[in-house]
This record gives sequence, structure tokens and C-alpha cells, in this order.
Amino acid sequence: MKGKVEASKREELIEQGKQLKERLAGLEEQLTKISELLYFEGQRIPNTTHPSVPIGPEENAVVRKQVGVKREFTFPVKDHMELGLALDLFDFEAAAEVSGNKFYYLKNEAVLLELALINWSVAQLTRKGFVPLSTPDIVRSNVVEKCGFQPRGQNTQIYSIEGTDLCLAGTAEIPVGGLYMDQIVSNSVLPLKLVAFSHCFRTEAGAAGSATRGLYRVHQFSKVEMFIICCPEHSEAFHEELISIEEELFDSLGLHFKILDMATEDLGAPAHRKFDIEAWMPGLDRYGEISSASNCTDYQSRRLNIRYRPVSEALAVKKVKGSLPPLQFVHTLNATACAVPRMIISILENYQQEDGSIIIPEVLQPYMGGLGFIRARKL
Amino acid sequence: MAIGMGLGIKQAATNAFFPLSPLHLPFFLRHSFLPFRLHVLATDIPRSSAFSSFGTSSVNIMSWPCLLRNGYGRVQMSGRQDIIAISSWNAAPCKSRSVVAAASAETLVTKKERPSAGNSSAIEKKDSDGPDRTSWRPSIDFKWIRDNKDAMAANVINRKTAADVEKVVQLYEQSCHLRGEVDKLRAERNAVANAMKGKVEASKREELIEQGIQLKERLAGLEEQLTKISELLYFEGQRIPNTTHPSVPIGPEENAVVRKQVGVKREFTFPVKDHMELGLALDLFDFEAAAEVSGNKFYYLKNEAVLLELALINWSVAQLTRKGFVPLSTPDIVRSNVVEKCGFQPRGQNTQIYSIEGTDLCLAGTAEIPVGGLYMDQIVSNSVLPLKLVAFSHCFRTEAGAAGSATRGLYRVHQFSKVEMFIICCPEHSEAFHEELISIEEELFDSLGLHFKILDMATEDLGAPAHRKFDIEAWMPGLDRYGEISSASNCTDYQSRRLNIRYRPVSEALAVKKVKGSLPPLQFVHTLNATACAVPRMIISILENYQQEDGSIIIPEVLQPYMGGLGFIRARKL
Repeated sequence: MKGKVEASKREELIEQGKQLKERLAGLEEQLTKISELLYFEGQRIPNTTHPSVPIGPEENAVVRKQVGVKREFTFPVKDHMELGLALDLFDFEAAAEVSGNKFYYLKNEAVLLELALINWSVAQLTRKGFVPLSTPDIVRSNVVEKCGFQPRGQNTQIYSIEGTDLCLAGTAEIPVGGLYMDQIVSNSVLPLKLVAFSHCFRTEAGAAGSATRGLYRVHQFSKVEMFIICCPEHSEAFHEELISIEEELFDSLGLHFKILDMATEDLGAPAHRKFDIEAWMPGLDRYGEISSASNCTDYQSRRLNIRYRPVSEALAVKKVKGSLPPLQFVHTLNATACAVPRMIISILENYQQEDGSIIIPEVLQPYMGGLGFIRARKL
Repeated sequence: MAIGMGLGIKQAATNAFFPLSPLHLPFFLRHSFLPFRLHVLATDIPRSSAFSSFGTSSVNIMSWPCLLRNGYGRVQMSGRQDIIAISSWNAAPCKSRSVVAAASAETLVTKKERPSAGNSSAIEKKDSDGPDRTSWRPSIDFKWIRDNKDAMAANVINRKTAADVEKVVQLYEQSCHLRGEVDKLRAERNAVANAMKGKVEASKREELIEQGIQLKERLAGLEEQLTKISELLYFEGQRIPNTTHPSVPIGPEENAVVRKQVGVKREFTFPVKDHMELGLALDLFDFEAAAEVSGNKFYYLKNEAVLLELALINWSVAQLTRKGFVPLSTPDIVRSNVVEKCGFQPRGQNTQIYSIEGTDLCLAGTAEIPVGGLYMDQIVSNSVLPLKLVAFSHCFRTEAGAAGSATRGLYRVHQFSKVEMFIICCPEHSEAFHEELISIEEELFDSLGLHFKILDMATEDLGAPAHRKFDIEAWMPGLDRYGEISSASNCTDYQSRRLNIRYRPVSEALAVKKVKGSLPPLQFVHTLNATACAVPRMIISILENYQQEDGSIIIPEVLQPYMGGLGFIRARKL
């Protein structure tokens, strides 16, 4: 309609313009709606699955490896609750009054054991080149969602803070992922290996029964977590590295455990493949999960928007924009180095003596000032 | 397992009776030891790899945890042996919380319903199979307030708090009067009821019934009035702050009196940097990313700062355990009524407390709260007093209303780790323990090489629970001012009246006699709390005071063993 146009032609054009505008508005509205629906449905699609992952429910998990053997006891074994109460190591009763069920106080040597476990894990992983990190335990709820959790879903694991858009993180995975969100990571710093120390808060809604007695399932605990950000080609290798680090850690604590390749129904949306370690807990007379190592490939990074440009340093310096490969999403992995309550259960139950005292694993003794035993006090 | 045991025995042969330090000698004399156990104290701590994460030499750590098992300062709570119910005074474990509950009827605390402050929720309902936790009343000594009302009113003015002593006294008088009336009516009603028993003429009976009905109505009316006055009385009464120690300076913050100065300001030969500049250059924190993930005043600690945090926590806990404090790790989530009982206002305006949606739970702002809660509604045995605890927790604070440049960086944050000392003792000793706590703090911070002043805080700065409060402010050269690094409060019976923590002041000998008539009545304990280590403020102090010209930081000597012998934080060569 720009430039010289006859009056009648002009009117025709104006009419056409109006109609097009209306139709456009209508279509754009439809597009918005479909788009919303698309993302709503789309983001429910879980990650791809590694071909070696066993298909089916929890029972179909495949044992990759067993380390150590069950200890032979010459006396009746006690569970960690009985041992701990006799040695005055925890108080669940008072915590139930102060905070509610599944909360607890740690006392006396248990506090030292907690600090020793944290220090030892951080030291071990720092030695292996992981960068230590201490994270906030409060995060915005959209960061929680970007990591693949549902803060406001039914049976959510996440506590929310009243009057804010903030939540309590259920694992360090969330604030660590958040640390790099919306960033373009330089190729030269990959892989990023971090060891994060945080406090995890979980509602454990829907979890009930005797299997969750004592320290096994609690609302709050300290955890040391490994996190790797790498380029896609290397994530499988790093997954193997993480699981072998975990194996080394728990073996040096003298525990007997099995490493499981978890089955498809047990993966959780973000995980492409997940290895769990279950330690033998003689007092509970079963294996209990003490750690989990997941390869989330690009599921989290697509949501957290963490990318890198796959170039060599030489090419990057050249800055010839036309020939640079496009940005790609990184792969993220996470693995538990030490979940304090489960470790305390494993240590108390496996290292118990006939008189109810506990031997402290050798590697932890220096971190407890050389203390070798936890013994009852003579009254 | 076999290997571990074998090593032990072998080493015992070579290191049989050699104590690690003279510190342990008194304990060898007090308690019998198996040679095997002595070995534990003499163990040659593996020096090789455990601590040398950065390749420098590692240092031995004294076996301070052994003191716990040597009978020094332990609280035996299994079977609740420190909690003795009224009925049995022997040492047998007594788990009867119900007896404890019955005993509380002795006090002024009534169990009447109070408008509930908290919300119940799905999570809370699942857990609660116990008493209604939302309603509670502090055990206030109204008679004492009435008898000392002028002093109390002056105290309120000095502290500049919103409390009305006059009104409380009036309400108390009213409630006493009403109580008297109610008792009279009850007596009359009982008399009428008794009169109706047995043989009575028909007309007389009707008269009595009529009387009975009238009395019942009047009684109901008076009882309703009494309930209302009572509620008002407690509402006003619990706003009255604690009494104040006579030596406390009167007035605003500026009137605080310096009790002592320790150390001197370091002379710098180069321009000093503040902790933010130092930390960012050394890649020790990230506030920017935390602002995205969580909001302002949140932070990530990185690299050596993480090791420094862990070292500070471990060192403080070790120091205090050596002094006989029992280590404790507390929940950071607590019920809101427990928060209130400690003297905080979870749902007030400008509250420091975060609440959890859909529950009656809050995030604790300090370990004081869960530690106080640990002993609430208990009758503590006289034999375990004083109870000395060192609690390690994570504090969450909204810091609502705090703004400005003074709160930049690590100085004022929403979350931090803290090691806190807590003492429960009998009233006569609280002043002495307050002095002990402040001298422990002085020792801790002096051994870290800090320069600081100890202040006797003024009345307007005390806060409702504190009878007296000593603050320590360390010199922070980068911020060019003194900054608070710790606070030690004597809360006398303010918290214990709300948490309902009591003891019976008897000697052990008398206790065993079990002559009920001659036992003194239960009394409220005194509680004290003091910061051993607030991690971010310590990090500021260390970074700013120990900075070198090239931007590196020397690590205080006492912390080096806890950082694997690391002596410096230096910039990474890129």
C-alpha cells in the first residue's frame, strides 16, 4: 500500500489487510495454545534410555558387581536403632515433639561420625580433582523444575517456603545445576567435576512402613554429592568413572555391597542410565540403597539451558564466525558420595561388637581424632 | 573386621600405656581401662594421606573425642535416665512422660485452649498422635510481677519494648478476684448438691434444685469471664521481657560498654581489600549465580572456602568437646510453637523466621531453638546439671528489614552454618556460666588470632529473652569497622518458663530418701546460649585480617590441621 495506488485498489488492499490481520490473530492464538500444550506434554517425556538398561520393574535390576562379603556374626545382630539408643547416639523421641516424625538429633560420637564422613568424602574427592562446593539449601521453584522435580505436584518430595517462590532443595544436584544454568560453558573447562556438600530436605510423602524406621528414611540429612558437566561423547565414560569412585569409597569403608543397573521403571525422568549401590545392613537383614549414580545426558541441560561450543582451542581463537559449529547442550551426571544417615546405619550395623560397641572404620579414625571405638559409658 | 582388630592388638603391644597427652591422665586415674582401650588413645594416627589433599605435611590431631567415653561431660539419655519423674527417685530408667505431664499441673500453666497460632496440615495430621501442640502457655509468675511492678515497668521503659506492666497487674488482680468468686460459687454448688442427698422434703428439694440451677448459670457466666480475662492476661503477660541484670548499661546500642579488648588492629603496608574482593579474586564464592538460583543474600562457597568452613566447624566442635560440652546435631525444621517458646515470633511482621507452606513447621534461625526443644516439658535430674551442649546446625533467616551496604557479601545472609553452645543450669549458677561462656568465646577467637572487643550490650539491644548479653565484635579491616561475630546471652528462666524445663533442687542424698513431704518444689532452670562459630562472619574476619599484599590468605595456625595442613589460600595460576 506504499506509494501511488488508486483509491479503489487502496480500499481493496485495506480490506484484505484487515482480513489477514484477523486470520493472523486467530492463528497466532491457536499456535500459542498448541504450543503450551506441546510443551506441557513434551516435557513429560522422559529421557532416552541406554540400550543396556534392563526393562521392567525394580526387581529386574541387574547386579553388575558385588564387593566384599556378608560378615559372619557369632551373636545376635542388633539394628542401628537399638545400637544407637543404647550408645546414646540419637534422639528420635524428642525430635518428634520438636519437629515431627522422621526428624532426629544426632548426639555424642554420632555427631563426630557425621563430621568425619563429610570431611573424609570431601577430602577424597578433592584429591581426585573435584572442585569442592557448599551450596544454598533454598532454591527458586523454577530451578527445581528445571532439574526434573515437581515442587508442587501431589506427593511432592519438595518442601516449599510460605509466601515465596522458594523451596528447600532435596539434593545438591539442584543448586549445582542451577549454578550453571543459562550459561555457555567454555569447552576448555570441560569436564567440570564438582563435589557439593549440602543439606537435603525431603517430605517423603507416601513413604510409610517399617522399612522406613529410624535413620533409613528421614526428612533432613547431610549429603556429599558428585556432579559432572561434560560433552556428550564422554558422559558414558564418566558414568563409569563415578560408579568406580563410589565403589572405591565404600570399599575403603569396609562395607559389603552390590552395584545395580537399575531397571527402566525405576529410573526417574531425568536418568538415561542409573547405577545404585545397595549395602548390606545386617540389622535390617537386607540390602539398603546408600548411593545412586545417574547419567542425565542432556535432559537437565536442556531445561537448565547449559551449553558449550564444541571447538578446539585453536579454532576458537580464530573467531571465524561462519565456520564455528553451533552451540550444543552439555551432558550432566550426578552421584552420591556420602548420604550421612545411610552410612551411619551401614557402619553401626556392620561394625557392631557383641557388647554393643562399634568399631570405627579405619579410614575415618583420623577424622575422629583417632577414636577407634564407640563404647557405652560405665555408669 | 578381623584385620582391624588384629592391628589394634598388635599396636597395643608396642604403644601400651602411653597417653597421647597429659590431658588424659586424670581420666586414666578415674576410670579403669583395658590395655586394648588405652591403645585407642595412643594410636599412631596415619600421617600419610588422610589430610594432605594439597601435598603439604599433615599434623596429628589430639584424640579429644575419647573424653566423651571417659565419663567427662556426657549426658546419658538412653532410657531417659536424666529425666526423673516425681514418683521414683532411684536411678532406674524412667520413660514415663505421662508422669511428667501430670506434674506440670502444679504450676500456673493451664491446659485451656488458646486461639491456635499455627495451621495444621496434611503432613502434621499424619504425624500427630500426641497432645495438641498448637496451644501452650508460658509459666509466668504474675504474683512476682505484681509485687515488683515498678521495677518491671522501669525495665520495660529501659528496653523500649511494647509491654504494659500496669495492664498485666490489673488483669491479674481481676483474674484472682474472679477465681475467688468462682471458687466460692463452686463451694456453694457443692453444698447444695450435698444437701440434696439423703432424705429431703419435696418443697425443700425443689428449692434446692432451683438454687442449684441458678448457681450453675452464675458459675458458667463467671467461668466464661475468667477464661477471657485469663487469655488477655497471658497475651499481655508474655510480652513482658525478661528482667535485666543491674550492671547492664541503659539505653540504645551506642551505650554498650566495652568490657575488654583483645589483640590489636593489624598494621597494613598496602591497601586492604574487603572479603568480597579477596574472595572473588581467589574464586572462593559466587553470589551472582546464587542470586539467580535462590535470590539475593544467598551464596555458594567454593574451593578452599569449603575446606575453611568444614575446618571451622570441626575445630569449634573439637575445642568444645574437649571442654566437656556434649556434641549435638539438630534438625533445622521445627514446629512453630517451639520457635515461639524460645522467644521468637514466627509469624510476626518483619519476622526472621521462614515458614514451610502447608505445615506448622518453620526453619530454625539458630540451634538455640531445637536444643531448647530437646528439653521442653522435661524435669531434669539435679545430678546432670549443668547440661552443656555444643550444637551444630544450619541457620535460616529472612533478614527482613535489613538493607544497605553494611550487609554486603557474607555479612548478612539468609543461610549459614553455626556452632552454638547451650547451657542448662540451676539459677544460682547462671551468672557464673555466663562468664564462663564469654571467656570460652574469648579463648576461641583469640586463638584464631583475631582482634576484637567484648561488649556488655545495652538494654534496648537485649531482645526479650536476655537478662544480660555480651557481644563480641571483631575488627574487619576490609569493611573498616568492627562486626559482630558472636553473642552470649543469659536468658535466666525466660525460655525455661515457656519451654517448661524444670528441676528439683535437692542433693542426691535427700533425693534417695524419698520423703515426699520434705522435698522442695520444682523450679525452672536457667538457660544460656553463646555462639562458638558463625561461619560467614568468621570467614570475613579471617580473609580480611590474614590477607597478604598479593591477595593470598594465610590460614590461622589452629585451623591448618583441619585443612590437611594447608597454610595458604593462593590464587590459581591460569
